[in-house]
Amino acid sequence: MTTQLPTDSGRSKRALAVPGSVQHAAGRVNWRAGLSVRNIGAVYVLIAICVVFSIWAPQTFPQVATIRQVLDGNAITALAGLALIIPLSTRTFDLSFAYVMSLSGVTAAHLVVSDNVNLVLALLAGIGVALIIGVINGFVVVVMRIDSFIGTLATGSLVQAFISFVTDNNTINNLKLAGSFTTMSEGTFGGVIYPVWYALALAILLWLFMEYTATGRRLYATGFNPDAARLANIKVNKLRFCSLLTSAAISGFAGVMLASSLSSGDPTAGTSYLLPAFATLFVGATVFKQGRFNAWGTLVAVLMLGTGTVGLGLVAAPLWAADMFTGVVLIAALSANAFQRSSTLRGQAGQFRRLTARFRPAS
Amino acid sequence: MSMGFGSEGPGSAPLQPPLLRITGVSKTFPGTVALDNVSMDVAPGEIHALVGQNGSGKSTLIKILAGYHQADPGSLAWLNGEPVDLASTAGSRHHRLRFVHQDLGLFLELGAVDNLALRGEFITDAVHRIRWKEQADATRELLGRFGLDLDLHKPLAEATPVQRTVVAIAAALVGWEGGPGLLVLDEPTAVLPPHDVAKLLEIVRGVRDQGTSILYVSHRLDEVFEIADRVTVLRGGRVVETRPVQGLDVQALAELMVGADVDAGYRAGLPAPDGREVVLRARDVRSRFLGGVDVELREGEVLGVAGLPGSGRDELPYALAGALAGATGQVEVSGQGWLPLRKSASFDIPIVPADRGREAVISEFSVGENLTLSVLDRFGKFGWLRRRPERALVGQWMSTIEVKATGSGALITTLSGGNQQKVMMARCLARDPRVLVLCEPTAGVDVGTRQAIYEFIADRARAGLSLLVSSSDTGDLLAICTRVLVMCNGRVVRELVGDEITEQTLLQAMEETEQV
Repeated sequence: MTTQLPTDSGRSKRALAVPGSVQHAAGRVNWRAGLSVRNIGAVYVLIAICVVFSIWAPQTFPQVATIRQVLDGNAITALAGLALIIPLSTRTFDLSFAYVMSLSGVTAAHLVVSDNVNLVLALLAGIGVALIIGVINGFVVVVMRIDSFIGTLATGSLVQAFISFVTDNNTINNLKLAGSFTTMSEGTFGGVIYPVWYALALAILLWLFMEYTATGRRLYATGFNPDAARLANIKVNKLRFCSLLTSAAISGFAGVMLASSLSSGDPTAGTSYLLPAFATLFVGATVFKQGRFNAWGTLVAVLMLGTGTVGLGLVAAPLWAADMFTGVVLIAALSANAFQRSSTLRGQAGQFRRLTARFRPAS
Repeated sequence: MSMGFGSEGPGSAPLQPPLLRITGVSKTFPGTVALDNVSMDVAPGEIHALVGQNGSGKSTLIKILAGYHQADPGSLAWLNGEPVDLASTAGSRHHRLRFVHQDLGLFLELGAVDNLALRGEFITDAVHRIRWKEQADATRELLGRFGLDLDLHKPLAEATPVQRTVVAIAAALVGWEGGPGLLVLDEPTAVLPPHDVAKLLEIVRGVRDQGTSILYVSHRLDEVFEIADRVTVLRGGRVVETRPVQGLDVQALAELMVGADVDAGYRAGLPAPDGREVVLRARDVRSRFLGGVDVELREGEVLGVAGLPGSGRDELPYALAGALAGATGQVEVSGQGWLPLRKSASFDIPIVPADRGREAVISEFSVGENLTLSVLDRFGKFGWLRRRPERALVGQWMSTIEVKATGSGALITTLSGGNQQKVMMARCLARDPRVLVLCEPTAGVDVGTRQAIYEFIADRARAGLSLLVSSSDTGDLLAICTRVLVMCNGRVVRELVGDEITEQTLLQAMEETEQV
C-alpha cells in the first residue's frame, strides 16, 4: 500500500516544522506551518522589537530614517554572514573570513593609493588575494584533514600576521580613498547604500543555489551526514574545498566594501565581524528551514539584531545595552531550537552517534 | 489481550502481584497513533519477550518507560506496586527500572572502568581523588559476575560486540545487588554474531536468576523461544496477545506479529544464471581484511557473501563499490576494461550500506530528498534542480517499492526501519545500475517488510540486475541467493551453489573454516 499524497489535516506544528517538510511536501507551501513560531520565530521577535520601540520612542523610532539606519548599518554584517552559508552547510567552519576581509580591504586600498589602480581591478585584486587564502584553507582543512575550526583559526592568524608584517599595523589613509572608492559602498540607490543591494542580490543567489541546484542539496547532505553523502557518490572533499573558496571570495568582496565605507585600509577592520557573522548564521538556521543554514534566515537575523541595536540607540540606552541585547537574543533564539532537538531521542541518539563515530575502530 | 498475570509464567507464583504493570498506555504522535491502549504486565523473576514488527510500537513503549517520551493522559504504570509517572519526561522513571538500549549508550573511547564508574559513581578519597585501584577492582568484580574477561582500561571500541553488550548490561545494573526490579533489553543481540548470542542469553538468564525480571525486545524469534517465559506481541500499536511461549512455534508467533500467514521459509527460487553474461569481474581484491578475493557476477545473479565478523564479509562489498579506503585490486564491469579498484566508482556500482543510520540515512532530510540524493543531476540542465521532475521520480519509486510514509515530504526518520531501507534501495536503483551491492539488506527490518524486500530483489534480478548481497543473517542468503561465497580470514573458502545453500551448510562452512 502506498500513500503518496500527504494529508495536511492531521498534521501538527511540530511535524510540519521539520526541515524541508514545509515546502517539499506535495510541493505546495503550507501557510499555517510556514507561519508557525517554530518556523519563523525570529520574524515574530523582529516584529515585537519594532512594536516595543515604537511605543517606547514614538517620536524617533517609527521613521523611514530608522529603517535606513538599520539597513545601511548592517549591510556589511549581512555580507559577512552570507559568506559563510556554503561552508557551514557542509559543517566546515571558516573562522579566517574576518581576517580575509581585512586583507582584501587593505590590498584594495593599497592598490588604489599607491598604484592608482582603477576600482574594478582593485576590487578583483581584493577578491583575488582572498581566493588565495581560500585555497590555503582548503588545503589545510581538506587535504591535511585538520579540523576546520582550528585550521581556519590558524590560517586566520597567519593572515593577520601577514597584514601586520606588510602594513606595520598602519591604517592606509589617503585622499584618493575618499572619491569613487568610497562611492562604491556609500553611494545610494532607492534611499539605501549600495551594499544593501549587494547583500540582497547575494542572498537571492545563495537561496537559488542552495535550494534549486543539485550542488546545494549535496552541500547540505555533506554537512548532515558526510559518510552517507560519500557512499551516495557525492564528492565530499571537493565540495568542502570549493565551499571554502566561496566563503573566501565573498568575504574578499565584503572586505573591499568595508574598506570603501571606512575610506581607509584598516589592518584590523574585519575582526569585529567575526562573531556577529556567526551569530546571525546560527540564528538564521532556526528560521524558515530549520537546521539548515539559509540566506533568508540569515538576513532576518541580521535585521532582528540590527533593529534592536538601533532602537536601543534611539532610546539612549547605556552603551552596554546593545551587547546585552545581542547576547540575550542569541541565547533565546538558539535555546528554543536546542531544546527541541535534545528533547527527542533522535536528537540524543544522533549526537551520541556523531560523538562516537570518530572513535570507532577503522573497519 | 491477556490480563491473566501471575497464572502462567513458569517464573511466577500464582496470583503473585506483577512486578511491572501498565494499563491503558497510549501515545499519539502527529498523524499517527503509535500506541493504543496498551496493557501488559511482567511477573517477578520472569523473562518477558516483547515482539512486533517495526512500527508496531515496541520502541515507543520502551521509550515511554525510559522517560524519553511522554505517554498520553490516562496511561498508568506500577512498578512493585508503586505508581510510575508516565507523563513526565524525567530522564529516569524509577531506580528499579533499568535499560540497555540498542546503541548500548557506552563511551567507546573509554575503558570499562570509566564506563561503569560514570553510571554509578567514582570511588574517591577524602580530597575527591579517584582511587583507581579500588575502582578497577570493583569493576573487575562486577564484570567477573558476568564471566567477562576484558582489559578494563582498553577503550571499548577495541572490545568485541558481545563484550560491549555485557559491559552495557553491567553498567545498567550498577549499584543494584539483584532483587526485584526490571531490566529492559532492547535488541541486545542485533549486532552479535550467531555464536555469541548463546553466550549473551546465558548472561541474561544469570541476571534473571538474581531475582530480576527482564523485558526482552528482539527481532530474532528463535531467541524468544530459547529464553522467554512469556511473550507479548504488539501489532499496530496494540497488544495482540500475551501468552506463555510454551506451545508456540516460530510460524505461529510470526503470524501473530504480521497478522497473516507468513512464509518464514521464503525462497525466491531464482534460476541459476549459467551461461549469461558476466557483468562484474574483480580480481585480487586486497585490503586490511581481504587477502586476495576474486569475484565473478553474472547478469541476473544474486551472489551472497557469508562469513563471520572479521572474515572480510563486511569489507568485500565496500571494496567492490570503490568505497573502502586502501583497497587494491582490479575490477571490470560489462567488459569495459579493467580498472584499479579505487576507480571503480566510475563504473557506477551503487552500494546500500550496512549501517543504515550512520552511513545511509540523512536524518535531517525528507524521504524524497533522501531518495534522489545520488541522481540529482537528472532534474534539470546545468545542475539546476527542478522540483517537478524530482517529485515525479520520487512518487514513481515510492509506489514501485511500496514505501509507507505520509508523503515524500515526511522526514525520513518518521519511517520504520524497513521503509527507510526501501528508500535507501530506491536511492541506489534510481541510478539504473547493472550491479547493485547490498549490505545487510534486512537489518532492523520487520518480518513483513523483509519478505517484501526479498521479493523486490528477486524481481529486479529477474529483470537482469546483478546483486552482491552480504549479510550476517543467513536467512537473507537462503531466501534470495543463487550462489554464496563463504569467507574466512579475508579469503573465499567455500562456494555454495543452488541447492547446496541450506542453513546447515552455511553455518557449517562459516564455523568450520573458523577453526582453520
